Amino acid sequence: MVNENTPESPEGLSTRESLAEDSDGERHLTAQQVAPPAYQAKRSLDPVIRLADVTKRFGGVTAVEGVNFDLYPGEVHALMGENGAGKSTLMKIIAGVHRPDEGALLVDGVETVLQDPKHAGDLGIAMIPQELSLFPQLTVLENLYVGRRRLRRRGLFDGAAMKVAARDVLGSLGVELDLDAPLRSLSVANQQLVDIARSLLKKARVVIMDEPTAALSDREAVRLEEIVNALRASGVAIIYISHRLKEIRRMADRVTVMRDGKYVDTISAASATERDLVRLMVGRDLAHLYDRKRHPTGPVRLELRGFTKEGEFSDIDLTLKSGEIVGLAGLIGAGRSELAQTVFGIRNPSAGQMFLDGSSVKISNSADAIRRGVAYVPEERLSEGLVLPFSIAANISFASLKRVSRGSVISGRQELSLAERFRAALDIRGGRLQDRVSMLSGGNQQKVVLAKWLATEPSILILDEPTRGVDVGAKVEIYKLIDKLAAEGKAILLISSELEEILAMSDRVLVMREGRITGELSKAEANQESVMVAATGAES
Amino acid sequence: MTTHTQPADSVFARSQLRTVFRRIAAGPATPTTLFLVLLIIGISVVNPAFIRVDNLQAILAQSSIVALIALGVNQVIIAGEIDISVGSLLGLCTVAAGTVAATTDGFILPFVTAVVIGLAAGTVNGFLVTRLRIPSIVATLGMLYALSGILLITASGAQIVGFPKSTGFLGNGTVGGVSVSILVLVLAFIVLTAVSRFTTWGRDVFAVGDNEAAAKLAGVRVERVRFGTFVLVGGLTGVAGMIYLGQFNAVQPNVGTGLELQVVAAVVIGGTSIVGGRGSTLAPVIGAVLVTVVFNALILLGVPNEWTDVVSGALILIALLFDTVRRRITEKP
Repeated sequence: MVNENTPESPEGLSTRESLAEDSDGERHLTAQQVAPPAYQAKRSLDPVIRLADVTKRFGGVTAVEGVNFDLYPGEVHALMGENGAGKSTLMKIIAGVHRPDEGALLVDGVETVLQDPKHAGDLGIAMIPQELSLFPQLTVLENLYVGRRRLRRRGLFDGAAMKVAARDVLGSLGVELDLDAPLRSLSVANQQLVDIARSLLKKARVVIMDEPTAALSDREAVRLEEIVNALRASGVAIIYISHRLKEIRRMADRVTVMRDGKYVDTISAASATERDLVRLMVGRDLAHLYDRKRHPTGPVRLELRGFTKEGEFSDIDLTLKSGEIVGLAGLIGAGRSELAQTVFGIRNPSAGQMFLDGSSVKISNSADAIRRGVAYVPEERLSEGLVLPFSIAANISFASLKRVSRGSVISGRQELSLAERFRAALDIRGGRLQDRVSMLSGGNQQKVVLAKWLATEPSILILDEPTRGVDVGAKVEIYKLIDKLAAEGKAILLISSELEEILAMSDRVLVMREGRITGELSKAEANQESVMVAATGAES
Repeated sequence: MTTHTQPADSVFARSQLRTVFRRIAAGPATPTTLFLVLLIIGISVVNPAFIRVDNLQAILAQSSIVALIALGVNQVIIAGEIDISVGSLLGLCTVAAGTVAATTDGFILPFVTAVVIGLAAGTVNGFLVTRLRIPSIVATLGMLYALSGILLITASGAQIVGFPKSTGFLGNGTVGGVSVSILVLVLAFIVLTAVSRFTTWGRDVFAVGDNEAAAKLAGVRVERVRFGTFVLVGGLTGVAGMIYLGQFNAVQPNVGTGLELQVVAAVVIGGTSIVGGRGSTLAPVIGAVLVTVVFNALILLGVPNEWTDVVSGALILIALLFDTVRRRITEKP
């Protein structure tokens, strides 16, 4: 209320409105630059949330380090950063899922240790996760009141009163839903609204939205925008995580950018260009991780033409040569893993063609793919890769049992010698081949999974985030291995969300965004900015 | 110095003890086997007649029907599914074989009848679960009732007697003083152990039950592997039906009623994990024998008949509890 009288606010408001109508109005808007410190100084209200020098570690990994963040009532504060920048961890600290190891969380200016998400909820903090946490079989009304004890009369639910309150809240969001309809019959957008309405029923003052528009159509996204604006007008503070630069510039008041778990900057959204945001996200100082040797490439092994899977990716053209490493960059949810899994035959394409060594093929299952020399090392290597009760040897030979069997009888000797060969090649340590794989360390378990796929002797190797969750030393080891495999003539498709990795390893970089290839960059053209611009769709 | 090394020593000893315990716990059937041995020793102390060879043989022969079927269901459970249709199926196989034997003669034709019916039913089970994707507990429950209905319609409630002794060879014959039913069980156990250990299918059964996603990625035809386990149960149930014919010399349509639970109990009590992926072929055999020994002991101790169900229920619960505790220990890094 007080800040309505400050000269900043009306201007900020009109800025937003003009942007909503006219998305080309960037140039004259950058003229009205607002210095972030001045913006903060003008606030006369206390922040509803303040993080002071917050650090959070998981094991040896620092997820968030020394972050400062504040949030005022009636503000939309966007949070940006690459995958793994620490946004989710930060939000989970605010939502009471994690407790900071260092630093403090202040709610209404009072230092608070949140016991759990319910505690956060009681203080008016609600989180709308990307994967909605609703109950598809229950009705809209039941979903709105899950886990709540209010509106009870003599131990019974007061259905009529609940309905009235529910309609009020949904009405304030400008929607009308059948309260008795099962949630699963609603569109994703409407389900999201139910989740928002639920947080409002709990009298939320802080709403955290994690990529709310990721699953929405353009029209639905516009409606969500209106709702966010309405919430802001009613004094709710909103933390908005998104990769969509335009959306953020249009909706947010301020943007905080994070990189590698560290706080980078907080700037006024209207004053920043999309280029500015990209630059802040990627930074400029990159450690040189690994120096690749160059080797000559051979014939084309894999080619995709117009490869499409309805709702996941479309019109993918791609070639992959023997001895070549092609990096597939993009943000999470861009459709890269889905593409890889379709090539591997776990999913079926709805259109397009696939060629292996020049001949058109249809791969309908993974056994087929393995037989044809395609290997896919999934992102979830441990949960989708290992059979824990099996020995190390049995895990290594698992995808190539046919090679060590006569008919269907496994030769124990051949199996052990195959396993030994790859154990030595990958330097797997910490147990004998006959020991259970579960006794190995995480890093060595990862190597077992790689060994399993190399044992199938693939000519095409698809690696999905091969160094996720691996420490730096083990990373370099994996890079060496990838390099060596390429030198041996394998065609390698490297999916990675780490720019450094993509840039260090790739001969060529393909960038995907929202299911399409939005950039193809040679080694010379590829740099952090060019990749991020293609990945986020930024315009300069 | 000594004050410093002492706690370290005890920590070392404790961790060693833990490894030893883990190693023992790692063999799925080991605890049940130990318990069975102790139980036999205990009963023999009270009643020395128990440990006599003919008594032990009688117990093994008595266990053979449940154990044989359980060997099949064991594979189903390891693969992450369940089969509770075997009670009615045993009845159907036995009645059909008995009917054929009463009109024809000899061993071969009834045997083929029983096994073919068993395999056919197993195929239907496999189809329902892997193709139509009906959860196995529901699909085989449906089959349990459907098969029992077929049995009642075709057998018209009459008891079948008077088939030649040769038909019941698997149940009443002896070779070198050893009951044939025991030999059949031992043979099935050896073959299945070998298949389980040394063939791709045997290994895939474990993989599918432990980590379906990984198995699928590694090129395992998950559904095909599971299909095989259901067919195996059918075939073994057919053979078990022939043992039944010989052991009881008469067939009523209510043969096998309640057997499906005894079979699942044998598997679980033996030490195969009900959640799949962990177990051994020894487990169903040990489990079946243990249940028989316990029932024998109850009779020897003069415990009223009504208590047997309570005891078998308690055994299953103890086995499941043990399974949970074991998983909690072994799954810790």
